[in-house]
Amino acid sequence: MKGYELFSESVKSLHLLPMFGNPGTTELASLRGIDDYILTPYDGLAVAMADGLTQISGIPRIVNLHTSLGLGNSMGYIFTAKANRTPVVITAGQQDLRHIFFEPILSGDLIGMVGSNAKFSYEIKSADEIPEVMRRAKHEALTPPTGPVFLSIPMNVMDDVSSAGIPDEVRVDYSYYSEDAVEKVAKEFNDSKNPAVVMGWEVDLFNAFEEAEAFARKTGCPIYGESLPQRSPYRSESPYYAGDLLPATTLINLKLVGNDFILFVGGDITLYPYLPSPLLQGKKVAFVGLNIRPKIGDFYQMNVKEFLKRITPKVERKGNYHRQESYQRVSKAAREMQSIGTTYVMSRVKKIFSDYVIVDESVSASTVLREIVGYNPGKYFSAKSGQLGWASPAAAGMSMYNNKVLAIVGDGSFMYSVQILWTVKRYSLPVKFLILRNNGYGILKSYSTSYYPGMENKDYLSFTFEIEKIAESFGIESRVAGKDLQEMTWLREGENPKLLVVDVDRSIQKLFL
Amino acid sequence: MSYWGKKYVLGGEFIIVKILAVLPDFIPTEPVKQMVSQVLPDMAVVSSLDFEKNEAEVLVATTFHRLGRKELSKFPNLKYIQIASTGYDNVDLEYVKEKGIMLCNIPVANKQSVAEHVIAFILAFLKDLIFLNSELKERHNWPILTGSRDLEGKVVGIIGMGAIGREVARRLLPFGVSMIYHDVTRLEEEEEERMGLTYVELDELISSSDIVTVHVPLTERTKGMFNSNVFSKMKDGAIFINTARGEIVDEKALIDAVKKKGIRAGIDVYPNEPPDFTSELFRLDNVICSPHIAGVTIESQQRFLMETVSNVMRYVQGLEPLYRVLV
Repeated sequence: MKGYELFSESVKSLHLLPMFGNPGTTELASLRGIDDYILTPYDGLAVAMADGLTQISGIPRIVNLHTSLGLGNSMGYIFTAKANRTPVVITAGQQDLRHIFFEPILSGDLIGMVGSNAKFSYEIKSADEIPEVMRRAKHEALTPPTGPVFLSIPMNVMDDVSSAGIPDEVRVDYSYYSEDAVEKVAKEFNDSKNPAVVMGWEVDLFNAFEEAEAFARKTGCPIYGESLPQRSPYRSESPYYAGDLLPATTLINLKLVGNDFILFVGGDITLYPYLPSPLLQGKKVAFVGLNIRPKIGDFYQMNVKEFLKRITPKVERKGNYHRQESYQRVSKAAREMQSIGTTYVMSRVKKIFSDYVIVDESVSASTVLREIVGYNPGKYFSAKSGQLGWASPAAAGMSMYNNKVLAIVGDGSFMYSVQILWTVKRYSLPVKFLILRNNGYGILKSYSTSYYPGMENKDYLSFTFEIEKIAESFGIESRVAGKDLQEMTWLREGENPKLLVVDVDRSIQKLFL
Repeated sequence: MSYWGKKYVLGGEFIIVKILAVLPDFIPTEPVKQMVSQVLPDMAVVSSLDFEKNEAEVLVATTFHRLGRKELSKFPNLKYIQIASTGYDNVDLEYVKEKGIMLCNIPVANKQSVAEHVIAFILAFLKDLIFLNSELKERHNWPILTGSRDLEGKVVGIIGMGAIGREVARRLLPFGVSMIYHDVTRLEEEEEERMGLTYVELDELISSSDIVTVHVPLTERTKGMFNSNVFSKMKDGAIFINTARGEIVDEKALIDAVKKKGIRAGIDVYPNEPPDFTSELFRLDNVICSPHIAGVTIESQQRFLMETVSNVMRYVQGLEPLYRVLV
């Protein structure tokens, strides 16, 4: 077979399709045998779509980028896939190696460019190695900690002839745990006076919600969510759920001030604004998980579902935590009706889209979204990197697997990846977009008021985007919501893609100390 | 005593910052120390300034300790004073200016509390609560004739539309009142409409309002602004509320207005504090007094604490602290 045939047969055999990309001349050589191709009219969107579909389906997908320039355009999205620990196989064409010495246009050091953002990167040297390289790429992506891998595919290799065979499917076993480690963690937990437990995104990854709830019921401890999780860390309806940690040392310390042992299960510490408090000083800290890489404390690499199943019979009751019912939301939502505050908007989302997968890039409204709409198994996704422009294409990718996907995105964020509307229309993807329009970068304004007062008034932090008209120009049905938000019901109806703009309260929220 | 804070700057260099927090002696220090140990672990917490000298660069204090020349001269290295309160009358400003010390307060933590206190005064008067309470408890009267009134439909005049004035307006809107306001700076028309406010000149506000509430700072311009001339223009029986500063009101003129025009006054602040309790003000039925406590609630104290800690941390990080009063 020729190299391109080995490539396409390997991709099919490894179940990596559909392929997402935005090809150039350099890639045509490798794409001759690929038909199941989703075009995104900007390179990075292909990575985000593959990221989204991979996460929701649990099956790694493949991306095709246009050599050095397409790879460069996609770096932010690859960085996000790394932060999300999403096992996607990213490829890009490389110029014909027979004249690479002359540095032809579009050629470049792709391996150097992708750098540490891919956990494995390789430039294919010959057609003979295509099947085993493709197989290894998927294997590397799936090996904990999972993440994106990168392959550079020179044009000339695609026309080489080889007798290499097609690769077998990759299998990775994630069920590992250690009885000794479980015993050790159980002892530390039982020896502590007042432990706290922080659950993370791997609870969702391994669907360990029932095990997590059984653990909480047995111990009576409050269960916190890790700060800024990329997936649901716990069922937020549970009476044991005590809210998420916030992403700053001081705020984490204050939340856990009375606890002597902090157990992180399937999650890590995420920080954003620097605060000078030394993190969890004087406390015992332990992490359990498969894909996390903790910076402090002890680490036990285990599957969290297996861990929770095994530790629960061994732990003692340590408290009687039961979250107090909060009646605040309904009243606050009513108060915010006039100004269209985020509590009001999210209360409507919770009511109308309760069975939807939420892809969150509401940024300055995200805390309210997570608090009100909440976490449910397989129902919450966000970019762990903090990237803007990820949610819309990721949601589009997810909607290829689940026809109930709602992206909740700020107006500023939406404009980063507005071209995704073309792909959504072209492939009739059933994704719904809820755009929260506050005419500015709310998070930057909030940060300014806390740290650099006055900057919130800089004109470059404010803008007006007529997103409803932009959507129409792509052929996407769109509306602007009235104050009663009745249009949310319209947004939900049908399986055709739709976009709703809500003009939310523009006042600056206090989101930082 | 250890009071070595650490200031981390670019390049990884540690610069030493010494921080001392002095708490009022009625606050138990142990819970504060436990919290501080997790936030700024080497900050010292004390209840008294009874020492000869201290090396602190940052002093965190409340208004319960006098920070005069004598007290402040114990801190030869002092660069920054953070008062955990809106007021900072306890600080010798001349000394602070002379030494080039930065002084910050926390003006954002008690606006909600003050606004609720204003509403409490208004409703206590309109619903005749003080009278009804004493009639029932002391005289066991039943039934009782009362002139209890609704807040709905009343005209409320708000003088000063800063942070507290806005909070008062926001809370009053659902009561179905009409709101007029006066300030040296007028709000944007869009904001006025959103808040349900009509801007009027001061004289019109005074003469048109059933309830007048004052939220202006004490300045040369506002000192004594409520004099007999102003009170004479108020409606008979109107409600007057002062939670701002005592010196804004001519107390004698107020007492006359209460006696002659039936003005009902809710007073939280006094020209001298503690006030002169022999004043007739404290014997008038139409006056409800509180001891400069409108902004003091459990919740507001928690907000003061968090804002204070945040501001000190800004300094420790090398950022500019917010709410600078001097330097």
